[in-house]
Amino acid sequence: MSVVPLDAERVEQDEPPARDDEAIAARSLGQAVWRRLRRDRTALVSGIVSALLIVVALAAPLIELGYGIDPQDSFKDDLDRYGMPYGVAGGVSGTHWFGIEPGLGRDLFIQMVYGMRTSLGIAFAAAIVTTTLGVLTGIVSGYLGGWVDGIINWITDVALALPFLIFTLALIRPLELAFYGPREAVPGWFRVIVLIGLFAAFGWTATARLVRGQVLSLREREFIEAARATGARTSRILFKELLPNLWAPIIVVFSLSIPAYITSEAALSFLGIGMLEPTPDFGRTIFRSLNYLQTDPAYVFFPGVTIFVLVLAFNLFGDAVRDALDPKSMTR
Amino acid sequence: MLNFLIRRILLAILTLFAVSVLTFLMFFALPRDPATAMCPKNCDAARLERVRDELGLNDPKYLQYLHYVQGIFAGRDLGASQGGHCDAPCLGYSYVNSEPVTETFGRVIPVTLSIVVPASILWLTVGIGLGMLSALRLGTVFDRLAIGLSLTGASLQLYFVGGVLLLTFVYTLKVLPYPRYTSILDNPWDWATALILPWCALAVLFSAVYARLSRAQMLETLSEDYVRTAEAKGLRRRTVVRRHALRAAITPLVTTAGVEVGAALGGTVITETTFGLRGLGRTAIDAVKDGDLPTIMGTVLIAAAFIVAANLVVDVLYTIIDPRVRLR
Amino acid sequence: MPRKPLTALILLTLVAGLGACSENKRTDDDAKTENRQATGSIATDPKDSKGPAAEVPGAAKGGTVTVLRQSKISHLDPQRVYSFVGLTASQLYARRLTTYKDDGKGKVVLVGDLAETPGTDVNKDCKTWEFKIKDGVKFEDGSAITSAEIAYGIARSFDLALTGGPTYIQEWLADSPQFDTKFNFAANKTSLPPGLSTPDPKTLKFVFNKPHCDLPFAASLPATAPLPPAKDTGTDYDKQPLSSGPYKLTKNEAGTRLTFERNTFWDPATDAMRHQYPDAYVYEFGANPVTQTNRIIADSGADASAVSFNGVDSSLVSKVVNDPALKARTLQEPTPSEYTLTINNNKVTDLKIRQALNYAIDRDGVVKTLGGDTVARAVTTLMPPATIGWKDYEAYPAGKSGNPDKAKELLGGKTPELVLGFQDDSTYQELSTHLKGNLEKAGFKITLKPIAADTFLDETKKKDNPWDLYIGSWGADWPSGASILPVLYDGRAIKDGGSNNGASYLNASALNAEFDRVLALPVGEQGPEWGKLDEKIMKEYAPVVPLYVDVMFTIHGSKVGGIFIDSIWGSVAVTNAYVKQ
Repeated sequence: MSVVPLDAERVEQDEPPARDDEAIAARSLGQAVWRRLRRDRTALVSGIVSALLIVVALAAPLIELGYGIDPQDSFKDDLDRYGMPYGVAGGVSGTHWFGIEPGLGRDLFIQMVYGMRTSLGIAFAAAIVTTTLGVLTGIVSGYLGGWVDGIINWITDVALALPFLIFTLALIRPLELAFYGPREAVPGWFRVIVLIGLFAAFGWTATARLVRGQVLSLREREFIEAARATGARTSRILFKELLPNLWAPIIVVFSLSIPAYITSEAALSFLGIGMLEPTPDFGRTIFRSLNYLQTDPAYVFFPGVTIFVLVLAFNLFGDAVRDALDPKSMTR
Repeated sequence: MLNFLIRRILLAILTLFAVSVLTFLMFFALPRDPATAMCPKNCDAARLERVRDELGLNDPKYLQYLHYVQGIFAGRDLGASQGGHCDAPCLGYSYVNSEPVTETFGRVIPVTLSIVVPASILWLTVGIGLGMLSALRLGTVFDRLAIGLSLTGASLQLYFVGGVLLLTFVYTLKVLPYPRYTSILDNPWDWATALILPWCALAVLFSAVYARLSRAQMLETLSEDYVRTAEAKGLRRRTVVRRHALRAAITPLVTTAGVEVGAALGGTVITETTFGLRGLGRTAIDAVKDGDLPTIMGTVLIAAAFIVAANLVVDVLYTIIDPRVRLR
Repeated sequence: MPRKPLTALILLTLVAGLGACSENKRTDDDAKTENRQATGSIATDPKDSKGPAAEVPGAAKGGTVTVLRQSKISHLDPQRVYSFVGLTASQLYARRLTTYKDDGKGKVVLVGDLAETPGTDVNKDCKTWEFKIKDGVKFEDGSAITSAEIAYGIARSFDLALTGGPTYIQEWLADSPQFDTKFNFAANKTSLPPGLSTPDPKTLKFVFNKPHCDLPFAASLPATAPLPPAKDTGTDYDKQPLSSGPYKLTKNEAGTRLTFERNTFWDPATDAMRHQYPDAYVYEFGANPVTQTNRIIADSGADASAVSFNGVDSSLVSKVVNDPALKARTLQEPTPSEYTLTINNNKVTDLKIRQALNYAIDRDGVVKTLGGDTVARAVTTLMPPATIGWKDYEAYPAGKSGNPDKAKELLGGKTPELVLGFQDDSTYQELSTHLKGNLEKAGFKITLKPIAADTFLDETKKKDNPWDLYIGSWGADWPSGASILPVLYDGRAIKDGGSNNGASYLNASALNAEFDRVLALPVGEQGPEWGKLDEKIMKEYAPVVPLYVDVMFTIHGSKVGGIFIDSIWGSVAVTNAYVKQ
């Protein structure tokens, strides 16, 4: 399984945006993109849905306050002797909007709200860290070239060749042992940090490759030549001249990597190395629910549809952003 | 060309070397003492020490690594409890499986190959075909349908698709047997019917990705100057597409496909788990759970070798199909 | 364009909605299944040990029985077998000195298997034992089995390279837990361990320094299976063991599938409990319990004569029990595998806290968390109900869901902070989350600490381990209190590491003396004494909180018959299986 969002590589194939009027484009790019996004109905809908889900995740404690049920509250009395919830559709009712989890007896709605916070938190953080890492290495390696490029390229090769799942599985526990004593509780956020770190360690390569490719072709352009000729410092050329021209592909990779990390995190739970009980986690809820496909379809339905909508919305929005950023799409 | 090849191969070997060292180091971070895995039930310190001696765990780390590498190239003598001499390529002996790691691999690699190779052919043809067609019919109902389907496919999870496929075709309709690996040499029909569900599940997900990818690529190519020129010259659209656009559009897809297939060969953990098949991926995950060091080490190396080899093949293919690529 | 996925979504909603619309009504259907208690005995009449075994009603010859299991059988080499699946599967190909005749309802009789009787206590002091070997017992190659091959098998179990397997007989012969220091098998392959001898090809003799009245039970483990020295392939023997039973291993696709076919040299007249109905048995590995259940519910092809070893997954139980046709294909029995909230008595020295834990426990919640009645059954005793001589009692009566008030009263306003260690997998994560909530309601403060599943036993068996509580389990090797109470609660067995004590670290000299007293009684008189001792330990020491025993609830295909749940280990037994023709 690749952690790297596949779609990111598609951007790599795009030629770097050919702009004749670099200066103008840089300034008005944001406005132009915004205008185009607003006109695109798909972008509008998917953007609103994504934003809504992010708000739900961020506002989890507030929702809990209004809803009146804690994610750890257990309603064992609402389960029959096989651990299945009483009532219709997995115990859906006025108090339990999405019913309750079979066996565990917890409220599914509030579990999902908090679980989404964990999953989106991990996905966003991982996307930010990998993008930053990838952009930095990509720019440095592409612009400097020579042996620096050679070494960074080789490290990328090695990182690409390491199997992500095996390393994650093997490293999670030793990392916990290294930081926490045998009697100390490992807080839920520690696993979050570890997962983000592991995603970052294995996920930066795609962005790095992409950015490097872009920089390689940009650095021969006249405006860079000109900056060099005027004696600008390397760091200035890298971050003031090159970076602004890279925003488009970076934003696209970033927005497309979020759904990829959401699904990767869910896949880790599938293998039993994701977030642990009692930290609510979306991926784990989905994995657990799958077994109940026949006996409690509602339990599969609510989280299943939510992750589908979540990933679809982010994918659509990422696509829309890419189209909006692509100057060629203006003609279409 | 030859120079380029030699350089790439040397680099690939260097990469594998780094992977092996990293993996080797990782094991010493593991909490489990490998000796406890083979220490008898009422194990004590003295016995554990004897086992450690026999396993060579008391040697310096670098020596242990050297012995491991020596085993791969020249074979090595393992203790009596590890089945004695182990011929090259020796990847060590697994206590959990009671056999040399290479024997386990001989059984599980064909399974992974049988899943990945046909599945990738399926997803590449379906995906690229769909993508190209919808690019050529931009804006039609077909195009919209294809995009809609591929976006849906790309947003689904393999374990979900797999579960639904099993429920539909195996448990409810009963038109297919539960996936049960049979060698293609023993019975090609059984082999194919058993694996068709994993192929389909993978194809649903990945062809969606490639459909989007190739559609975008094709649109890109069709708007290139030389294609427009060809069209302007009055060439028929079909000729233009076949002669120029198709080839140019497919070339970059090779990179993605190559790396993806290479990675999949290293183990399709989720697919194997969903369908109860035992290939490299499942073997690796079980090995980590059992603390079976030689098997983990072997699976990491094999997986890395597949990826590195895929990269190499892609590079070489690239120089063949795209004459513009300079040989550095 | 967004219309397409939207339509799909609406369709999905409808489908799921329809599926979910049947209401699960509250009913007061608290049907209690009877506890299965072993009414076990040791056969005194040699006729009980004679073959052939009574025919299974309705049985027919032919067909293939498939056993589905999630993970592979760790060892096939009889001297290394020690898992439930290994113990039951090896009945097909490895005969032992003694074995059980089991009606699957708790009535078990220990009989001679290769031996004519379950052993003779020559001097009535449990120190010298003789076994006479049956006539006509043969290996799969037609060669005769004599006492020499059985003795070689036992000698071989001293080899440290052959990991796994029980160590009772080795330790008793060597009179030391360090049995390998008394007899080095690798260096003396032609000699026998001290105390073991073969006066003639029909006689096997054990001489112990100390009395071991349980030998007939210990000899029922497959470590007493025979093997000619010439056929010993060392560690490779694990892949292709030589059969002495009704079936032989004909194809070993390690980790995936094992195929056993008839062994023509097996003579039913020599065997008191095995049959040879199907043409073949296939053990298939890799499918998880959900898949196993679904496949057998589907009942198509080879799965129609298959049985699920891991049992019906708790997520599918309601589907199975609510369909009479499916329910008819199930088997449900409590097993002797008991789970306890084990208290580290080294750390939790205050009896009141241990008793408060016992009052606080919500066993009903535990059972529901695990998946209900078909997965687990609450127990309050140290010995599981399937033990010979089991006595039902409740030392700390607190109702089904516990009594937090009583616990708080015992704690007297204190808030003990305890760390609960558990094996890191989804079941234990969920169980420990429940326990934390449950105990914190009764005034405790619980910290959860997952421990890697593969190191859990090693770590908790270290005397100075850092945890206060852990979820422990014990499946006895034979249904006698002797293989439970002294094994788990005799403080003299505590060692720095690899302690054989059940990790409660209870060490009370009064109890240790009691163990010695009961162990020296004749086996037939021990039963009720163990029952009394069980209650005494709980009342006076409360070293653990008994939680539940596993329940085996499994399903088999419509074409297979004769499957039963083994009374000794509580796992699927196939020796009586047949395919309906």
